[in-house]
Amino acid sequence: MSPAAPTVYKGKSGQWSFIAHRVTGFLVFMFLLLHIVDVSLVNIDPDLYDSVHALYGNILLRLFECGLWFALLFHSMNGLRIVLVDFFPGVIRREKMLTGMVVFVTLAAGIPGSLVILWPFIEGRIL
Amino acid sequence: MAAPTRPTRPSVTPSHRAPVVDRRPKANFETWSWYFMRVSGLVLIFLSLLHFSITHIINDVVETDAEFVANRWSNPLWRLYDWMLLTLALFHGLNGVRWIIEDYVRSPAKRAATKAVTYGVSFALFAYGTLVIVSYSS
Repeated sequence: MSPAAPTVYKGKSGQWSFIAHRVTGFLVFMFLLLHIVDVSLVNIDPDLYDSVHALYGNILLRLFECGLWFALLFHSMNGLRIVLVDFFPGVIRREKMLTGMVVFVTLAAGIPGSLVILWPFIEGRIL
Repeated sequence: MAAPTRPTRPSVTPSHRAPVVDRRPKANFETWSWYFMRVSGLVLIFLSLLHFSITHIINDVVETDAEFVANRWSNPLWRLYDWMLLTLALFHGLNGVRWIIEDYVRSPAKRAATKAVTYGVSFALFAYGTLVIVSYSS
């Protein structure tokens, strides 16, 4: 008899939170390494720092910053959920509500913040 | 009808009982790394979200130029804030990446190589970032 076809675990909210937590954490860590390099330029040559730093005002990097803001918010709120479940196991009964709150706070802070970041572009001041 | 009787157990006097053994594993490096992720994570929620709000939302990103850094780092408390953010975020992230490597890089040789590069780059950038925050003068 041939082995059964591999089954796909169609996980619930916890599995998706786990994956999103890894992805956002990894991306924020990669940005941190880059950010140490770009800020360190200020100690070598402030003019060089300014010319590199000006790139962050570009629309592509502004979109990247919005992604960073959403990633930070999700990772923070989901991390808070993990700490709550670890130290107060009883709240696992409210698992779905907690995940809903994580998503809600991420969007409720992420969207207005992103609008502020993108505002110079929306107003047409930058390309 | 008589109530069913419980099966009797041979009576054991306390002196014949097996000694009570604490079966919890001893706290090791992984235990402390688990606690570190939770404690540093809680602090980082505050440090990172406030940092991002100041540099991207309260101020526009193009305003945080070299002059902005000079003003901010004229206050040693902001240097301490930035150094704590650097330290906690870097080691929180490094430990997270270590877990990711251990989950997905299965071959011992590749795992050792991946870890060596990740740790090498992270420690070097931590040392360099610390040097910049401490030695900066405008």
